[in-house]
Amino acid sequence: MPHYRCIIPQDSVSFEQRQQIALAFTDIHCGSTGAPRSFVSVTFIETPPGAASEFASPYYLDGANRAGRSEEVKQQLLSDLTGAFCQIANVPPDDIAGRITENPASWTMEGGFVLPEPGQEGPEWYAAAAASAAD
Amino acid sequence: MITFNCTIQEGMIPPELRPRLAAELARICASVLGEPPDDVSVDWTEIPHGFGFRGGKLSTTSAVRGRIPPGCPQETRVRLMQEIQDTWMALTGCTTDELVVSARDRRPE
Repeated sequence: MPHYRCIIPQDSVSFEQRQQIALAFTDIHCGSTGAPRSFVSVTFIETPPGAASEFASPYYLDGANRAGRSEEVKQQLLSDLTGAFCQIANVPPDDIAGRITENPASWTMEGGFVLPEPGQEGPEWYAAAAASAAD
Repeated sequence: MITFNCTIQEGMIPPELRPRLAAELARICASVLGEPPDDVSVDWTEIPHGFGFRGGKLSTTSAVRGRIPPGCPQETRVRLMQEIQDTWMALTGCTTDELVVSARDRRPE
């Protein structure tokens, strides 16, 4: 965690753009929350032409984060992420929507450890996360 | 019913290994949570190469996301995730950095 799923029309975002978006999302998330970079997952899911979609917009950002951050931080994060997506993928802002859902950190094990709550990450956890990522 | 969605990167988990992993998830749920193995369902999502990233780089990470009955004590939840992690790593050869395991409360029906 975090995990950001980008729902995109088929063949609309090139590999180079996906790579740039994944990097931008990592920068934005870590800049905002201080999370280790290696924990930021970004996945692109293509919807085939004509397929029924559960989303109201052609592009959708579905994020899942640890619970416990303020509404202001969450809104800013979503705004920054969708802004970066639109800029890199050349998508009009009206064509993208998104949400960030949250779950308790203690429900996820990552890098061999149960995730700490936001703000409860001690130096030991950062060191362990860095060591795990370096394996 | 306990459900698992296993999101894996293309080429990382051979198709012939997936039934064994699914059987192990059911076995672990029976052992830790006391749920009958038949009440555990597992589905797979394979992310094509070039569509999954972690830390801004191409990902080799598998995510095993479970939905379990609400109200599970944290100690039991941790034991469940730990056993899944250990078994998954032993069978696939992945490292701790290549696996995310979650056991979330099932949404009310």
